Amino acid sequence: MDISLIIYALNLAAIYSLMAIGISLLWSSVGMINMAHGATFVVSGYSTLLASSWIVPIIKASLAGTAFYTPVLVLSMTTVALLSGAIFGAIIYLIAFLPLHDKPNFAIRSLIATLAINIATVQLLLWWFGPRQKALPKLFGFGRIDFLEFSIRYDQAATIVGTLLLVGSMLLWFRNSRLGLEIRAMMQNPEGAALSGISIRKKALPVMMLTGSLAGMAAILLSQTSFLSPTAGALPLIKGLTIALLGGLGSIGGAMLGALLIGILEVITGEIPFLGQRYVLLVQFIFIVTVLVIRPRGLGGLLDETRK
Amino acid sequence: MNKILETKKLSAGYGALRVLHEIDFSIAEGERIAIVGLNGHGKTTLFRSLTHLVGWQQGSILLNGEEIGGRRALGAGRKTPSIIHAGIAMSPQGDAIFPGLTVDQHLDCGAYKKESWKNRESKKQQIYEIFPPLLDLKKSLVGKISGGERRMLSIGRMLMEEAKLYLIDEPSLGLAPKISESVIKALLMVDIKNSAMIIAEQNVSLLKGKVDRMVGMHAGRLRGDVGHISLG
Amino acid sequence: MNNFKLNTDKQISFHSVGQTSKEYKIHPKTGSVWNKFRLPMSRRHWLKWRTHYNKKNLTKARRLEDKRPLWWFLCLIPLGFSLPWLSNFALSAVAIFCIYASINLLWSLTLGTAGIFSLATMAVVGVSGYVAAAANVYLGIPWPFMFAIGTIAGLIFGGFLALPSSRLDGLYYALLTLGLAEICRVFISQIRALTPTNGSINGVSSFIPEEWYLQRPGLLLGAITALVLLLLSLLIYRLVNGETLGRQLQVAREDEEFAEAIGINYRSARIKVFLISCAGLGFIGAFYAMYFRSISVGVFSLDQLMLLFAMIVIGGTERAEGAVLGTAIVILIDRGLFELGPMRIVIIAVVMILVTIYTSNGITGIRQQFRNFRNRFQTQKRSLITTKGGEVMPEEAIDINDKQQIYSRRFDFRLRNHLKTLVTDDVIAEHKAKPLGQHSDALSRLLNYFRRTDVLDKYAIEQIGSLKEAKYKILAFTGIPGKPPRVVDERVYNNKNEAYHAVFLMRINDLLES
Repeated sequence: MDISLIIYALNLAAIYSLMAIGISLLWSSVGMINMAHGATFVVSGYSTLLASSWIVPIIKASLAGTAFYTPVLVLSMTTVALLSGAIFGAIIYLIAFLPLHDKPNFAIRSLIATLAINIATVQLLLWWFGPRQKALPKLFGFGRIDFLEFSIRYDQAATIVGTLLLVGSMLLWFRNSRLGLEIRAMMQNPEGAALSGISIRKKALPVMMLTGSLAGMAAILLSQTSFLSPTAGALPLIKGLTIALLGGLGSIGGAMLGALLIGILEVITGEIPFLGQRYVLLVQFIFIVTVLVIRPRGLGGLLDETRK
Repeated sequence: MNKILETKKLSAGYGALRVLHEIDFSIAEGERIAIVGLNGHGKTTLFRSLTHLVGWQQGSILLNGEEIGGRRALGAGRKTPSIIHAGIAMSPQGDAIFPGLTVDQHLDCGAYKKESWKNRESKKQQIYEIFPPLLDLKKSLVGKISGGERRMLSIGRMLMEEAKLYLIDEPSLGLAPKISESVIKALLMVDIKNSAMIIAEQNVSLLKGKVDRMVGMHAGRLRGDVGHISLG
Repeated sequence: MNNFKLNTDKQISFHSVGQTSKEYKIHPKTGSVWNKFRLPMSRRHWLKWRTHYNKKNLTKARRLEDKRPLWWFLCLIPLGFSLPWLSNFALSAVAIFCIYASINLLWSLTLGTAGIFSLATMAVVGVSGYVAAAANVYLGIPWPFMFAIGTIAGLIFGGFLALPSSRLDGLYYALLTLGLAEICRVFISQIRALTPTNGSINGVSSFIPEEWYLQRPGLLLGAITALVLLLLSLLIYRLVNGETLGRQLQVAREDEEFAEAIGINYRSARIKVFLISCAGLGFIGAFYAMYFRSISVGVFSLDQLMLLFAMIVIGGTERAEGAVLGTAIVILIDRGLFELGPMRIVIIAVVMILVTIYTSNGITGIRQQFRNFRNRFQTQKRSLITTKGGEVMPEEAIDINDKQQIYSRRFDFRLRNHLKTLVTDDVIAEHKAKPLGQHSDALSRLLNYFRRTDVLDKYAIEQIGSLKEAKYKILAFTGIPGKPPRVVDERVYNNKNEAYHAVFLMRINDLLES
């Protein structure tokens, strides 16, 4: 198989994994399915677009041509995306988590509430920005790196490396930090966590801001190859949901593995002559359903500490 | 000697079942008392109503003069973290352990205040000195250690933070006599100059003579003063 | 002595005492035979009339126990009759309302009755519609058969969907079926043979003749048939939910293990309801293709599905009224506030959020929610009144026929409370000194009470050995004829007075414990 296909698969897998981890993490620590993840994605995209329209000229004017141009551009845009994702995550916390977290049927009701937030946000963006697709500024330029026998585009490299860094550092932080410990405690024994002074009400906010910023990261990475429109969040949301299911809700390792498998599957399907790009979704779907029927808890479901 | 805890007409229950019947109870600073009684008579419910984990409760609970009780609607455990922060520490029946964390991480969880988190290593050393068996199991997953060690861990986690009121529910439940003796010994060694400790225990002989006061709980009522007349 | 005049010329008014429900009742003439109308070819009655005998005035009255058919009738039939007076825009809105309400009714069969969280509704409707339309357009099958084809397509598709439903967890299944509609959309739009023109099949023949299509007569016919569709869906809902399957699943909803223990195969009942609902959705899919005389991939759109989901969430999933009410609310906002553009969807989303936050099961679930809330407080309050009023709780008192028992138990309870206060160290010392003989007032009362009770509460003293060197032991009666009294403990008393005192102490302990 061609190396460039592998890189393409890794690229896809990286973006999908960001969405899937966000959903999986939130479910296992807080018990909430976030259907508004797609909305977070789009909102981050549009915030970056707005910010770019007045930040990029400044950076261009001051740093064009220097070595600092790309890093500063990347850093500023990424910060905007992550920040806007986190803020929208906080908004979702206020609307969908706080009023509902101790009411009966919390999981379904929060699903419905986040779904409503998703719908409302998409319509508001449609109303404000219009349905036309917009392009975000290219952060990484159009060059390629030639490495050994294969060449890889800058943005693909940035996506893969960036995602690995982000997820890796997040996992490390998760394992070693206080908030990570508290989240794992909440996952495994909510009453024990309450008796240790951990308030799920208070800790859910940082978690939701964190997962929101993951969606923001996915938005800015995906924007390098595709256009942004108010309905652009639907496909990443569905992919993120199904991959989170595939990996087992609550298992970050499972989500990453699932994203990798789905990315590879997508590339393979595109290459097979009689299938082609059109059947990608169908094949992925059949794959996920098959795996879940064989193993209802997903790939990583039995290994990790998961909420039941 | 101020009262650490005072309950007035505390009733609590689960749904239609009323477990506690208008309990009037108080404990003063420096006191270590035992609540004895058979299973199912309300000892655990009393502890849970103090930490806001019951189905419903009525009546006033004053912790150092501040009201922490009150009627409960939905949301069992919503006020629990703030009650813990206010100074109650509880080691519940069944230990409330986190199956996927190690012993060391459990003790970390017990230190919820900022300063305690920073000084947690030294505090953990103290706990390991009180419960030597835990030192060897520092990195083991809690899901795999024995009952006695889990009990020690639960109590150790409770002790990580200085609290005003320590509640220990059935420390000897399911333990071999020697281990339960060592657990009780550790409990009795805890310094409670400015705090108080309540131990709920079924096995009276373990605590006889070692606590300041023994209160009986029967059918949801405290029977400390209405004792049975001894025969002969 | 009061002065009063008996005023006989003024009409004396009688005030009715007690309450009978103020609803309409039929008072048939005595001796008349009751002919209840039955549905043809069955023993089923139309409406649920029941006879009630009024013991006070010894008359017979018939009342309608289940008035819901009446309410549906009152709401929907005027709607049907008002159709000719509605504008074209309103007519199409009514037709869409009926179609969506039918879909939601069948959907709430799956969601509420069967408890299967499936979001594949529009996928089933769309696929069946496509199959029926393709059969009509490409195979030339005349339109009356499209209904059957659609139903069968829905059934087969539903069969595939039902397979993983028991295997997968509820939420997993929901999220997977969410992706299904999107998959179908992409898949069908790619099949060139099926849909040469951007994914839609056009020119479907229908019950609406071609000349009438998009004209007023066509709209009227469409609206009327849509209303008939709604009535059919209501009938299906009633037949499934109100009969065996629905009742079995209701038990399963409340307690699954219990349902299994009493022999209800709720898993197969769930699958059956799911299949019936999918077949119905297939029927609606065929109707959909015929109403619009075409079918496009817009039927699979996620926005459409979310709109329908909003309808069912706002209305509530437990009752049929919920599906229809939710549909009505959302269609009103959607069509009525058309000028607002995308903002009207935002309004719908806001309503959805508010309903989810404040109600546990939609608007029609508010009554049940309030009842649960009130019930919870009442049980809590009731469990707090154990000390007042005596021994017997109000619920028990209703069941006890001899009310004297309640009063005697209450008296006993109060007496015992009083006697408990009489137990002092002095009384015990007095009895120890002199078990038999003249006693003080308190001791007398205690002893009288002890002597008055049932034999089962009393103790006996066994004399061991001859009278001269007698030792004494205390026994308790077992209450079972033929079984000897059992020994209470091993203590042996040397003289009778000690034994009497020991018995007294035991009785006091029992009293204090009760």
